[in-house]
Amino acid sequence: MDRPLLSIKNLTVDFITPDASMRAVDNMSFDVPMGKTVGIVGESGSGKSVTSLAIMRLLQQPPAHISGEILFDGVDLLKLPDDQMRKIRGDKIAMIFQEPMTSLNPVFKTGAQVAETLMLHRGMDKKTAWEKAIDLFNEVGIPNPTQKVHAYPHEMSGGQKQRVMIAMAIACDPKLLICDEPTTALDVTIQKQVLELLRGLQEKHKMSMLFITHDLGVIADVADDVVVMYRSKMVEKDKTRAIFESSKHPYTKGLIACRPDMGANPRRLLTVSDFMDEAGNGLKVTRDRVQVFEKDYEAKNGNDILLEVKDIHTHFPIKGGLFGRKIGEVKAVDGVSFQLKRGKTLGLVGESGCGKTTLGRTILRLVEPTSGSIIYDGKDVTKMGQEEMRLLRRKMQIIFQDPYSSLNPRMTVGEILTEPLVVHNLGGGKKERLDAAKSLMEKVGMKANQLNRYPHEFSGGQRQRICIARALMLRPEFVICDESVSALDVSIQAQVLNLLLDLQQEFKLTYIFISHDLGVVNFIADEVGVMNKGVLVEMDRADRIYRQPKEDYTKALLGAIPKGLPKNIEAFIS
Amino acid sequence: MTTYIIRRLLYMIPVIFGVSFIIFVLFNVVAGDPAPLLLGKHATVQQIHDLREQLGLNKPLFAQYMDVVKSAFTFDFGRSWATRQDIIEMIRQGAWPSLTLTIPAFMISTILSILLALVVAFYRGKGIDLTIRFLCIAGQSISSVAYILFFQYFFAYKLGWFEISGYEPEFPVFLSYVALPGIIWIVLSLGPDVRFFRTVILDEIYQDYVRTARAKGLGEITVLLKHVLRNAMIPIITYVVIQIPFLILGALLLESFFSIPGLGGITLNALNSSDFPVIKAMAVLSSIAYILFSLLTDVLYTLADPRVKLK
Amino acid sequence: MSAQDTKSLWADAFSRLVRDRWALISLVIVLVYAGIAVLATIGWGLPDWKTSQASEYLAPNGQFWLGTDLFGRDVFAKVIHGTKIAMSVGLVTSLIAIPIGVFIGAIAGYFGGWIDDIISWFITTFSSIPNIMLLISITLIMGKGLVSVYLALGITGWVGLARLIRGEVMKHKEREYVHAASAIGGGHFRKLFIHILPNVTHLVIINTSLQFQTAIKSEVILSYLGLGVQGEPSWGTMIDDARQELARGVWWQLAGATFAMFLVVLAFNILGDALRDSLDPKLKGK
Repeated sequence: MDRPLLSIKNLTVDFITPDASMRAVDNMSFDVPMGKTVGIVGESGSGKSVTSLAIMRLLQQPPAHISGEILFDGVDLLKLPDDQMRKIRGDKIAMIFQEPMTSLNPVFKTGAQVAETLMLHRGMDKKTAWEKAIDLFNEVGIPNPTQKVHAYPHEMSGGQKQRVMIAMAIACDPKLLICDEPTTALDVTIQKQVLELLRGLQEKHKMSMLFITHDLGVIADVADDVVVMYRSKMVEKDKTRAIFESSKHPYTKGLIACRPDMGANPRRLLTVSDFMDEAGNGLKVTRDRVQVFEKDYEAKNGNDILLEVKDIHTHFPIKGGLFGRKIGEVKAVDGVSFQLKRGKTLGLVGESGCGKTTLGRTILRLVEPTSGSIIYDGKDVTKMGQEEMRLLRRKMQIIFQDPYSSLNPRMTVGEILTEPLVVHNLGGGKKERLDAAKSLMEKVGMKANQLNRYPHEFSGGQRQRICIARALMLRPEFVICDESVSALDVSIQAQVLNLLLDLQQEFKLTYIFISHDLGVVNFIADEVGVMNKGVLVEMDRADRIYRQPKEDYTKALLGAIPKGLPKNIEAFIS
Repeated sequence: MTTYIIRRLLYMIPVIFGVSFIIFVLFNVVAGDPAPLLLGKHATVQQIHDLREQLGLNKPLFAQYMDVVKSAFTFDFGRSWATRQDIIEMIRQGAWPSLTLTIPAFMISTILSILLALVVAFYRGKGIDLTIRFLCIAGQSISSVAYILFFQYFFAYKLGWFEISGYEPEFPVFLSYVALPGIIWIVLSLGPDVRFFRTVILDEIYQDYVRTARAKGLGEITVLLKHVLRNAMIPIITYVVIQIPFLILGALLLESFFSIPGLGGITLNALNSSDFPVIKAMAVLSSIAYILFSLLTDVLYTLADPRVKLK
Repeated sequence: MSAQDTKSLWADAFSRLVRDRWALISLVIVLVYAGIAVLATIGWGLPDWKTSQASEYLAPNGQFWLGTDLFGRDVFAKVIHGTKIAMSVGLVTSLIAIPIGVFIGAIAGYFGGWIDDIISWFITTFSSIPNIMLLISITLIMGKGLVSVYLALGITGWVGLARLIRGEVMKHKEREYVHAASAIGGGHFRKLFIHILPNVTHLVIINTSLQFQTAIKSEVILSYLGLGVQGEPSWGTMIDDARQELARGVWWQLAGATFAMFLVVLAFNILGDALRDSLDPKLKGK
């Protein structure tokens, strides 16, 4: 067999500062064969990005300490002098990053940034390099390349920026392309296009690819081999199909199983902890845990309508002109109407900027609507006075996306949880309020004695549980979850989704669940509304939307989801 | 962009009203009656009354305020109480000595600071970075008056390298007068400037696009001089340009200490002799300059940063 | 981790601060100066500066470490006593400038709209007049002496802080934790004072250390212009005296006062930098 293009042997990366030391990558060994794609999959902090930066030697040393071997074409990159390594970077090994928004230099034209690579490694003069840049723009599918080379990054969409990054990366025909979460920041329809582009380019240029992602669906679509990382270690490596069909490591099994998908899902999602205990030993999963859950679309706590939204518009003014008058408006929500029955979950899906978040906030009047009415339990929310609105807030709550910014960092968890009671002067004295907080902490799976801790002492998943507890302190009947699991790793996401379902049963909650992730919405929602450009394109029962979408936009959205490989739950049951 | 500039120019009107108001409150309301001060101890009641009438101090307060506003818009500040000179003429004469001191000193200190900040940023965390940063902090911690006293004593009086004080307008003679205060200016500016520029450059150095530039295979110096500096220039421009209006006013302390007959010296003399019209004129002019230069900053911003569109 | 180990961001920042050796030394220096200032104020335990103890302009020697001044007074004792003026100028001007700056900046940033327009106009107006002119004008009009110095420095000191707080409050206003406070029915008062302000307090602390330095340095300038403190030794008046003395070779008043001032301003500077690093919430939680 041929020598692999890249061969990593016993790679270990430590970050050592005077205060602490941390092992980010622990004794990794794997190969990337010529012309093949190897995927590294893992959750945040598993060490996958550090591995890729170590290959490029882009880690600051110190604090990073790297040992082992990185053999590229038979040469150990770790032993190369700096100037030799610079000749390889961008020429033989190129890299694209997660954030196209920040990865391009904002003050230079995109064409110039591509031409710069060519001038550096190919010694081209400026004119030739720019001409080549136009060709490259064309190759990566940017429309009007002759004009677009003169555009600055901010004049392009996210997808186009990532295409520029790709053009820059393939400019010198690299042998190895490292893609670090290249589509994570992109909408699902754009993700599909970018993945297709990368696959095409790989074939055409006969590149090897190292593809890093947290998304198993994406990895199944692009990779020949998969390396699974967990807590700085490589736990498994195999052919992609083998990983999905007969993975051996309990963590991999858990990772595959916990992801809700477009097909039928069990009542409760399996999580990594179903497969593996804290010490890493495998556990048995019984058949009853994976039984397919049939949603009861008709009768859940009766059929009365809790919320009715009628032709709601939320517009934001654009100011300008000599005296800062309104010269236009952004129609974030542009005429949306729907009804939601008590005890049901409405999933709102759509791509970024479609208005789903604004709609959620408008319903709670955190943003004032421009026109239309919101009838909650028979009363029009938009016509309520301040005091009436304040009282209504006991019944309607919201859980936000970012568990880092949605908790006040200067307050203890106890203060955060009792605040709703203090504001509404409920729940008796301080002690009774703290008792209420304690019991909810236990309900959301936290410990009651953690109330005097501060938010920064918790992980993202734990913080999101605290946010859920805060929302429930006032015993609301209606909760909006605004991308509430989007910032979480899949294994944590599964736990939080299970929790939300349990709480819905226990507290008889009605949810609006806003998300860009159609798999998650398929799992949790009874009804699904698809939004695009401020308008509700289509709304129907979840199963009907997924099986027989009527509108083109819904079809396109569904078609763009990485198909991956069907998860073979049967194989995981012992 | 034109709309934006017009809007900003119109914004000068309320600001001039505001500046006039502060000056009016300070000098016409809070300050005591200037007439006895101007006429000396032996003035009669009649003389004081006449002078007050002549200076417009017997008018109602609102009318006095409108006088201040009017002078700000017409640039007619009248005559100095102390020297009886036309104020605009005084300012015209004072501008040249001030500018010969401040402009070269300002340019040298800015360029030097940027260069030092680049060196420091390149060697961040290393010995040279720590040393220069410590020198900047230490240098900043010494009183400016102590610098002036020591430098004048040592370099002009002891070593005789420079003139001790005074001014001649001819080139190149004026250099021997402005060089020493200029050097003091540079020494005083270096500390805060280098520290600010260093922070700005380091803010950029950890951005994603810098990683992209390195991933292309660019060397660290190219990354710093091309990619980082170009972005860091955006805050640097703001910091630098907004100082310019205060240059026009001159260096108050330096000019008075080295007896340079510039605008700073004029202002200080006016303050010392309660020469209110001159103080008012200087305050109004400097605030107009301030607004014009903050407008210039915004315009330069659009050149430095393609993301900014003035509306 | 047991429940007792819990740490607020403040406690956390403090432990990081004292771990930095230079910051700790600076903190000790500042506290020593503050202690001396208190002793000088209650008039206890410090060497006598008032009485003439020897002939004029004695060079530094074993008895008078920093020599004597024109009236034969102990320069070292004067330097020590000058700490009182320096620290009180820093303290009083901070007490004036910081509440004004925080309040005005917070209101403008939080409410926006026409309130912000008016306050921004006010801030622009104040910043367009050169600080030193305003400073001198106020001192002149209020008359010489300590009270004018306090007032002048206090009135000019709030502008920068107000602008900073305004920007920061605007940012925090859009954070999700503030939206969460709205969602539970919290009013403006709760959102601004209980949620947002504690999250910008670190800027206030950093700014206080800056205000102290500026105040101490400005006192010297005002004294040099003859507008400073009367009847009591201050570093400013001592440096001002040195104008006449240097030509006669008398350097010790200048050196003593400059060094005393240098040390404390340096300490505030290092402390300010260290505070910025240790209080920066960006470093935590991610």
